[in-house]
Amino acid sequence: MEVGGAIREAKKGTAELVVLAFLEDQSLHGYELTQLIDERSGGALTFNFASLYATLYKLEERKWIQGRWVEKAGQRRRRYYTITAEGRRVLETQRHEWRQFFALIRDLAGVKYA
Amino acid sequence: MRDRQLRHWRALVRDRAKAEWRELSSEVVDELACHLADLHLGALEHGANGADADRIANDALRSASFLVLSRRPRARRSPVGYVHDIRIACRQLLATPIVTLVAVVSLALGIGANTAMFSIVNSLLLRTLPVAHPEQLVIVQSAGQATSWTNPIWEEIRAQSDRFAGAMAWSATRFDLASGGEAHFVPGLWASGGFFDVLGTPIVLGRGLTRDDDRRGGGRDGPVAMISHGLWQRQFGGGADTIGRRITLNRVAYTIVGVTSPGFFGPEVGGTFDVIVPFGTEPLVAGRASQLDARSSWWLNIMLRLKPDQTPAAAEAALNVMRPAIREATMPAGVGARFAAQYLADTEPFTLAPAATGRSPLRIRYQRPLLTILVVVGLVLIVACANIANLQLARATARRHEIGLRVALGASRWQIARLVLIESALLALIGAAAGQLFARWGSALIVSQISTDAAPVFLDLSLDWRVLAFTTGITVVTVLLFGTVPALHATRADPTGALAEHGRSGSGPRGRVTGALVITQVALSLVLVVAAGLFARTFTRLAHLPLGFQTDGVLIVSASAPRNQFEASQLPALQERILAAVRAVPGAMHAALSSKTPAGTGNWTDRAEVPDMAPMSEPDRRVAMNSLSADWFTTYGTPILGGRDFDERDTAAGRRVAIVNEAFVRRFTHGANPIGRTVSIGASYLAAPPVEFEIVGLVGDAVYRSPRDPIPPTVYIPNAQRDGPMNTAYIGVRTTGDPMRLARSIEAAIAAVDRNVVLTFRSLEDQVGANLVQERLVATLAGFFGALALLLAGLGLYGVTSYAVTRRQAEIGIRMALGAAPGGVVRLVLARVAVLVGIGVLVGAGISLWASTFVATLLYGLEPRDPATLAGCAALLATVGALAGWLPAYRASRIDPAEVLRNA
Repeated sequence: MEVGGAIREAKKGTAELVVLAFLEDQSLHGYELTQLIDERSGGALTFNFASLYATLYKLEERKWIQGRWVEKAGQRRRRYYTITAEGRRVLETQRHEWRQFFALIRDLAGVKYA
Repeated sequence: MRDRQLRHWRALVRDRAKAEWRELSSEVVDELACHLADLHLGALEHGANGADADRIANDALRSASFLVLSRRPRARRSPVGYVHDIRIACRQLLATPIVTLVAVVSLALGIGANTAMFSIVNSLLLRTLPVAHPEQLVIVQSAGQATSWTNPIWEEIRAQSDRFAGAMAWSATRFDLASGGEAHFVPGLWASGGFFDVLGTPIVLGRGLTRDDDRRGGGRDGPVAMISHGLWQRQFGGGADTIGRRITLNRVAYTIVGVTSPGFFGPEVGGTFDVIVPFGTEPLVAGRASQLDARSSWWLNIMLRLKPDQTPAAAEAALNVMRPAIREATMPAGVGARFAAQYLADTEPFTLAPAATGRSPLRIRYQRPLLTILVVVGLVLIVACANIANLQLARATARRHEIGLRVALGASRWQIARLVLIESALLALIGAAAGQLFARWGSALIVSQISTDAAPVFLDLSLDWRVLAFTTGITVVTVLLFGTVPALHATRADPTGALAEHGRSGSGPRGRVTGALVITQVALSLVLVVAAGLFARTFTRLAHLPLGFQTDGVLIVSASAPRNQFEASQLPALQERILAAVRAVPGAMHAALSSKTPAGTGNWTDRAEVPDMAPMSEPDRRVAMNSLSADWFTTYGTPILGGRDFDERDTAAGRRVAIVNEAFVRRFTHGANPIGRTVSIGASYLAAPPVEFEIVGLVGDAVYRSPRDPIPPTVYIPNAQRDGPMNTAYIGVRTTGDPMRLARSIEAAIAAVDRNVVLTFRSLEDQVGANLVQERLVATLAGFFGALALLLAGLGLYGVTSYAVTRRQAEIGIRMALGAAPGGVVRLVLARVAVLVGIGVLVGAGISLWASTFVATLLYGLEPRDPATLAGCAALLATVGALAGWLPAYRASRIDPAEVLRNA
């Protein structure tokens, strides 16, 4: 695999996990979500804005999150996304699987995560 | 301010989507615009200047692909997604115009032919009569399913018609509208009074026929007639003043009292009428030959309308209660005691058959041929579908890169399948639309082909729900047939593989699928070609049968003396004068007058007996009869094998003489010379004794009615010695060249004898040809569609082999670089073709052997499993297959290995 390819592939698989994780504690709109991801990852993880919304719509279609238009005082109307009960279950399962996966990689390849 | 910004970003998002041929829902546009506006604002807040903030937001927009967003769940509910797919499908179809054209033309022919055949089948077999409650109509039949009755029987039933909701009778005929010279015949009906009340058909103008109109000789208004909507428009310009005007029918003046509705063609499907007149006026037209009191003339059809609560069984019982009285009252005249006792004791009950779809002699004759052709065109459509499926597969394969990209960008399997299916549906729709035009033209053409001068055919081919449902159904089935495989194939596209390959060739499952499609095509084409072969050979056999007479150069003139203008006793002398006048026409080499013509309509049989003949069943004693003038055999070209022709000695007062044919000799004298023997002619049931004739001549066998029938034993007698005169005499005229040339001068010559004689002209060739209309039609249609299937199969095979050669170019190049000879390459390519064609031919032969027995009744002088036809057709198909395979194989053998290896 070419250099960087592993990370790109991993990013594709982790996008859903990341979005679900960010929505776990609060409702967010799309722009807030990109800002938070950018901030917390220190710029290492960025979303093309079209693929961010593609991911959001896909999750919504699977009923893992739910979006609705909210108009807050003094702000423009925005679509906020909230995680559903089903989404929480999926997030837990995915977290568990990733943990197992990293444990395996650590044992096999000596890679440690921070 | 904020709103204006949002509008700005909305417009940019929409433009960007448009550039990508995407449609986004307004919600998605709002959300993306909102995001970009926030991004822009965020940049400004972080200290960027206006230009930089614009650039950041614009970069985000430009780098986005909207492919995945265009299938936002909410957007999919709107038809926008489909509109978009249709647009893409249109572009795809236009990108390969030749392939699209081939597909559309094959589909138009396939769907059109199916619709054309179905609309004929529909109007002949399925459509109900355009009358009120057609399901209440029943037709009166004998147990033997005969539907003709005498007028005395009808009058008995009419007298007790209150046992039913109504009863009516009719008889199809034709009326001469001309007032002199050549006849101008139009189809007509004799009908009972109250005909339209019983049928419940609307009348456009005037009134219907009443019971009063049906009185003998006409009612209070005198002889009245109703005319069809068509005649009203053609002859009377649709004027309201038509009611009360006169119309001449067979030289008798009738008053027009009504016009029928445009969609009504009468109770007989396949026929139509221009004039309807009451039975009661028949004596005015027929004079002394009136059939109203004739108890042996079975010429009219009877239909009953059941009461709303009456079952057919109850009506049948009510009718059969009347049977003994009917028998008593309708005993045929002049029968012997034995026959009379049989007639009275006859236990054959009346039966009632449902008549919602009317009565139709045409239906009986054409049902099987039409259904056969319907199956044929169905198979052609399947062959066409297989072809288009292969074309679509090739197209889908060529688009693997594009489809792979779509999958990689998140398109679902269903979306990819939908895209390919919409393309197929679009093709089918265009094909179906073009097919409709072809169908309208084709069905009218077929009806005109089965229609002859003597028996014109009319079928109502207008669109109804059945035809619409059939066409819609067949279009959907077509899409499923040729669209499913390519759609499924497209969904299997592997994104990573397709992207990496960059559209280079693939193989695997597609090869197997195309192989199966080609085998299907070859097999079905063989079935069609075998059917075409069988029908063509049947037609050729019938067309080349020895007829026993020479068809070319003979004109047949029918000369009818209107019965209300001539006494029966005048007819023989009149006919003699007409014959003499015709013989004097320049160009008439021979002319003769007879009561029947070879292979003509009408039948005259009688019972024959020869002294010392072997015991024989009654049916075997029936002989065909004809009465003739001198020179008849020379005129028609039937050889006189022994004895003499009739001549001036054979008068009414002279010795009764007869000429017989070879079939008569075989049956009645066991091959012994018949000349000098006597033959007694006369029905056994008649009270009068048979008449004895001395046989004076022997002639060759000649077809009497249809070339399909075996030639019957035939007895010819002189005109002067027949029992009663002929109302219609046929004058055969032999000439050189086109016989119709003589028509005008013969018409003038006969008019000089008597202007009132009604004439029709027809060549003998036409008359014989009219007997083979059904066989010719089936052979022509099967031949056309067989050839079409062959062409499609050839194209399919060519396409598949070409594709395979292109795919294996590199392999072939390497083989040639390693020393393979061009011949070896040709063999390599042809080997696969041979396998496909071989399997197809085997499967097709099996289907043909199984299916051919279903068409056995349509064949003549051939076994349905005729080995020569099957072998010939298989060879033809193998040849077409070899040719279709050889062209790409030859091209493969010309490949320059160096070039191929460089590009590999």
